[in-house]
Amino acid sequence: MENKETYWSENTRIILICLAIWFVVSFGFGLLLVEPLNAISLGGYKLGFWFAQQGAIYSFLGLIFWYGHKMNQLDIKYDGESK
Amino acid sequence: MNRHLKVAFMVAPFLAVLGYVGADYYNENLAAETKIIQLAAEGHCDIINQSCVLKSGDFKVNVSDEGGVTEINSTFPLDTATLFLVDKHDKATPYPLGMLKSPYYWRNETPLRSLVSNKGDSYKLRLIIKIKGGQYISEFTTQTAK
Repeated sequence: MENKETYWSENTRIILICLAIWFVVSFGFGLLLVEPLNAISLGGYKLGFWFAQQGAIYSFLGLIFWYGHKMNQLDIKYDGESK
Repeated sequence: MNRHLKVAFMVAPFLAVLGYVGADYYNENLAAETKIIQLAAEGHCDIINQSCVLKSGDFKVNVSDEGGVTEINSTFPLDTATLFLVDKHDKATPYPLGMLKSPYYWRNETPLRSLVSNKGDSYKLRLIIKIKGGQYISEFTTQTAK
């Protein structure tokens, strides 16, 4: 029972980290901070514009794999303990 | 692909749509905020001889007068437009312009032509234009060149 609770709290922590990064990348970099980021150029594109157009999508894809990896580790950790 | 990755791939499109809706809502609110932008005359302004263009970035307004009817023609559709004739005591008389056919053309009868009918005559005007998300203002002087 305790194991399940710890597993769930660690799972929740990973989800919250993912959601925080999702918010920072999509709303933060793509909208709220777009003007200061536009002062920086990335491969000829303004960074704020790049984040809104492509960077956010790349970050979301990265987040999906990172989440999968972390949860995999979590499963191994708790399955290992329960065995 | 483990089950967590499958769940993440299923949830991600919903988050993307949520992000899109949120961004759209934010931008719409931002656009609805009133911004005041000044229009400046592009070169010499002579309304009577159909040569007066006010400009701010891509937005241009052409001001002209034909037979006592003062007309403005803009590059973007307008919500409202008011022209003020300002006399030498700085007293402004408003002339709200009415839409003509489309929101790109606005006009009203004004006494401007009689005030600047001779060569060299000049008169101060103000123009206030409202567009969704902004208010364009301008104070300029028309001078009859010929």
